[in-house]
Amino acid sequence: MKFREYEAKQIFREAGIPVPNSVLITSADEANAAQKKVAEKVVLKAQVDVGGRGKAGGILPANAENISEVARDLFGKTIKGLPVEKILVEEALEISHEYYLSITIDRAKKMPLILFSSEGGVEIETLAKERPEALRRVYVDPSFVTLPDFIVRNVIGTNPKEIGKIVRDLFAVFRSKDAVLAEINPLVMTQKGILAADGKIILDDNALIRQGISENRDLTPREAEAEKHGFSYVELDGNIGVIGNGAGLTMATLDIISHYHGKAANFLDVGGGAASDRVMYAVRLVASMPGVKVIVVNLLGGITRCDEVAKGIIEAGVPQPVIVRIAGTNEEEGRKLLQECGYVMSDTMDAAIRQAVEAVQ
Amino acid sequence: MIYAGKNTGILVQGATGSQGKFHINLMNAYAKQVGGTGVVAGMTPGKAGQEVFGVPVYDSVADALDEHEIGASVIFVPAGGCGDAIMEAADSRIPTIVTITEHVPVHDIMRAVAYAGSRGSRVIGPNCPGMLVPDECKLGIIPANLCRKGDVGVISRSGTLTYQVISELTSAGFGQSGIIGIGGDAVIGQTFSEVMDEFHADGRTKTVVLIGEVGGSLEIEGARRALDIGMPIVSYIAGVSAPKEKRMGHAGAIVEGGEGDAASKIERLRALDIPVASRPSEIPELIRSL
Repeated sequence: MKFREYEAKQIFREAGIPVPNSVLITSADEANAAQKKVAEKVVLKAQVDVGGRGKAGGILPANAENISEVARDLFGKTIKGLPVEKILVEEALEISHEYYLSITIDRAKKMPLILFSSEGGVEIETLAKERPEALRRVYVDPSFVTLPDFIVRNVIGTNPKEIGKIVRDLFAVFRSKDAVLAEINPLVMTQKGILAADGKIILDDNALIRQGISENRDLTPREAEAEKHGFSYVELDGNIGVIGNGAGLTMATLDIISHYHGKAANFLDVGGGAASDRVMYAVRLVASMPGVKVIVVNLLGGITRCDEVAKGIIEAGVPQPVIVRIAGTNEEEGRKLLQECGYVMSDTMDAAIRQAVEAVQ
Repeated sequence: MIYAGKNTGILVQGATGSQGKFHINLMNAYAKQVGGTGVVAGMTPGKAGQEVFGVPVYDSVADALDEHEIGASVIFVPAGGCGDAIMEAADSRIPTIVTITEHVPVHDIMRAVAYAGSRGSRVIGPNCPGMLVPDECKLGIIPANLCRKGDVGVISRSGTLTYQVISELTSAGFGQSGIIGIGGDAVIGQTFSEVMDEFHADGRTKTVVLIGEVGGSLEIEGARRALDIGMPIVSYIAGVSAPKEKRMGHAGAIVEGGEGDAASKIERLRALDIPVASRPSEIPELIRSL
């Protein structure tokens, strides 16, 4: 789950990482008071979760005279499709130098990785590609709870010592928040010293519970509802509803739909050992998506009982045709139940998917 | 031997939960069928003295090791305690630790896998179906009825998709030398390249099927390793139709920062002259044409 800039900065502040003065507002009426609290000259930063926010018009300078007008203007905008609901009113900075600092997880090395560059303020992917020598990469042994001095030295090199403290503090945030990314871009040198001018923190979705977060708000309402039932669910934009068990098999189902030139409406993995009521709920959920014309159910059981699956499909009783491929425990009983109720059965996943694609053509 | 063999005594951590019980029964049914050792001990803190289908349960891994020869552990412990369970097994230097549990926090796994490495233990998973060597041993939840003995090795990040591929292989007449589910998370213990080395060292595998998906680049590393050691491979990568920045079920199945999408993986594999199936059903034909 992603934290917005204002949340990341609050976390930074608590961790001792210096950030610019700022106030969060949710309406243009609050803009004037916020500006008075923050600084003479401010910038208004739309709190939307998109990259390239500045270029898309999501960051605007303002002063005491024009702030209400600029705030009203920004609240009325959508930035790359997202409405502006919150704005961070932040002091305008006089920046003499920009740095880049992030901590992430290297999947192949299975270790935290610290990235630092004294050439900040650019797209980090571009820097990594064009001038890899300008990007310092330092791996951290996963057993380190705090950073040893040598790692901090290797990260900052001959750059100002005060950055070293920020590296330590950011690592503490990365560890204590179960982050998969903690980033300061840019980290800036100003007349007031060094500051985190922008920040991004992404939490490990598997650690939300122990972080005390009950809802992952990156999900759409339907995705959140699905998650409560233990499904993995992603909305897409086609007309063929998909229910599978296991992430890989469900992904493969989507791919075969593409292979036959169809378009999937969703990804829904019901998980292992699906009982009839969960299957019923899954079928109804997918059928409720606008534009779904046919549903393909592709379940391969180890522990999934096919008769339970069949009962769930029948109980769901949705208006769209449901094409079923099930294999596994109690397969014969499951097939018999479905055939008696007139459902279309397929022996292989390729055939089931082809039939679904043909049904919408 | 591929991580474990017929005579490997297996410990199950999280033995008294519903998953643990259910699969102890199935693992020992398979052991009985093939004449192997199977699960000899279970472990759940506070449950010493209980039995699960005749298997004695202990309070700690160390207690179980006092009474039994144990060469591998299978972990069904809930996500929050899973990193701890791996470290407990590694602390007792159990050589192979198979972790079935899903939704384990990634910081826990990084630490546990590193610690296991320092103790000479190897972790398979988490978030995986485990492993099965036909006619020898089953450590985890792979349905044994789909598998036949043969010389095709299967390495996969997925569960049910692996079952799909195994059944395609078996019905096309290709038996398997071993099936290893390495797990669908961003950070996992054994990777494609390490399992490739294991198949190579064992010497009974003629071809490896590498089943990957979106996210990361472990498949490419594994393919390169196969080329280095001269192991013929074919591949299938799930998720060509997966949208960016969306997690496709598995914690590790996400295209991030322009890295790890299926199309570019397939392109990189083909650039290494590795045949890539566009559907699981094409895999047997690709093996035949090698």
